[in-house]
Amino acid sequence: MAHSAFSLHELGVTFGLADRSVVAFRDVSLEAEAGQFIVLIGPSGCGKSTLLRTIGDLLPASLGLVSVFGTEPRSARMERKISFVFQDATLLPWRTVLQNVQLPLQVGGWRKTGRPNRSPEDMIALVGLSGRENAYPRELSGGQRQRVSIARALVTNPDILLMDEPFGALDEITRDRLNEELLRIWREIGTTIVFVTHGLSEAAFLGEKVVVMSANPGRIMQVVDLTERKPGNRIDRSSAEFFEIASELRTILHRAYGEA
Amino acid sequence: MVSSLKNWLWPVVGIVSLLVLWHAAVVVFQVKTFVAPSPLAVVAALWTNRWLLLNNLYPTALEAISGFALGNTVAVLLATLFIHSQTLRRMYFPAVVIFNTIPIIALSPILILIFGLTVTSKVIIAAIICLFPTLVNMIRGFEAVSASELELMRIMAASRREVFFRLRLPRSLPFLFSALRIASTTCVIGAIVSEWIGARDGIGVLIIQSTFEYRTEVLYASIVTSSALALTLFGIVALVEAAAVRWRTN
Ligand SMILES: Nc1ncnc2c1ncn2[C@@H]1O[C@H](COP(=O)(O)OP(=O)(O)OP(=O)(O)O)[C@@H](O)[C@H]1O
Ligand SMILES: [Mg+2]
Repeated sequence: MAHSAFSLHELGVTFGLADRSVVAFRDVSLEAEAGQFIVLIGPSGCGKSTLLRTIGDLLPASLGLVSVFGTEPRSARMERKISFVFQDATLLPWRTVLQNVQLPLQVGGWRKTGRPNRSPEDMIALVGLSGRENAYPRELSGGQRQRVSIARALVTNPDILLMDEPFGALDEITRDRLNEELLRIWREIGTTIVFVTHGLSEAAFLGEKVVVMSANPGRIMQVVDLTERKPGNRIDRSSAEFFEIASELRTILHRAYGEA
Repeated sequence: MVSSLKNWLWPVVGIVSLLVLWHAAVVVFQVKTFVAPSPLAVVAALWTNRWLLLNNLYPTALEAISGFALGNTVAVLLATLFIHSQTLRRMYFPAVVIFNTIPIIALSPILILIFGLTVTSKVIIAAIICLFPTLVNMIRGFEAVSASELELMRIMAASRREVFFRLRLPRSLPFLFSALRIASTTCVIGAIVSEWIGARDGIGVLIIQSTFEYRTEVLYASIVTSSALALTLFGIVALVEAAAVRWRTN
């Protein structure tokens, strides 16, 4: 069996105290192999963002166990193994594209980790923004900003990349393009990706493993393994197989919404 | 070039029209010079008293600028302290608010009793008058970071120090400069008010003396001089801001 990227064991997160508490999700158990592309999908409020934040040590688990590359999420984070891409690009407006991409190498004791980094210029080229190194975020479109934030996430050569609806605010055609680019990048660098989305076709296109969650309280409803049906995680969006996968996911998702 | 000319044209036309109105009022109502001089008389007084004005401008400018530097530095340091320690903030922020309610005119004699008729007491008054607006603005500025920016810093394992210097400080710059704009004019007021209470020279002293001696045109000339000082400081702050916060324009 391949090396494990993360494992969740009966994980639960509750916000607030006692009688005012809100259960974001509970009883979540999930395994991911290193290098896998995992997609999380489910109705709004089912705890997708919370789950992603827990894996990235942005939130503590209330119950259960999380381990990321065999350690606690905190150590994985402090060792700079984790990168996060937020829904809004979260670029620092006073920094140019290049300076934004360099930021992860300038903080958090990067040198001391001894990890090899990737060249910021190469990452900018990888996301197709060569020539815009000296542009400021305000001079870029929403899609370009999100590319910059992906370049920034990749510059530390992360073992795991957590992405929370990164393309949610973009039009469908741009999103399709960025999805293709993301797969190309993923193949090139071989990192583990956990990708949260609301989009069915995005999930069907990107995921090797699609985790469908349902709400109230949030939990995993079904895990759909697509590795056999999408050899090399490649699929033609106009193929019959793609439509079949998408409609299967749709059926499961309808049940997830129904239970909410 | 043309547009910057247009930017200047309307304010200049506005001010000139007010001056003309003032002059007309003095002439039409035959106002005596010691009651209110005409703008031309003020210009004449500026010229004839130029050395008197310059000699008194020097101490006022020194007090105002030193107070500006001191007050804003202390404000930024206090704001830095307060955003890093909620406890200190809860303990001392109310005290600062209460302190700020003391009329500056009442604070002057207190400081003169402590420091004597020295420059120090004036600098401290000018500093105090700058402190509060800058402190409040800086706290807001340091807190003007979004949740996802903080999460970004956290995922990169950034230390508190790095969060401060790489995120909070640059974020707060627009807030700092809007506070400095305010301070650039109030520090002059602080210096002048403190000179009223007791000083040997300065624009404030000149204002008091010329009032008592019915040299009204000198009083007006002193006011013009202090405004010129405040406007110069304001202009310098605006220039530095334009260079420092370029990322914000457009
Ligand atoms: N900081 C918080 N404090 C209290 N409750 C929270 C907090 N963050 C999330 N929740 C609650 O936890 C639940 C899960 O939220 P979460 O944001 O993880 O959902 P999501 O699946 O990402 O939704 P969406 O698809 O709309 O982004 C919701 O009921 C939400 O109200
Ligand atoms: Mg979410």
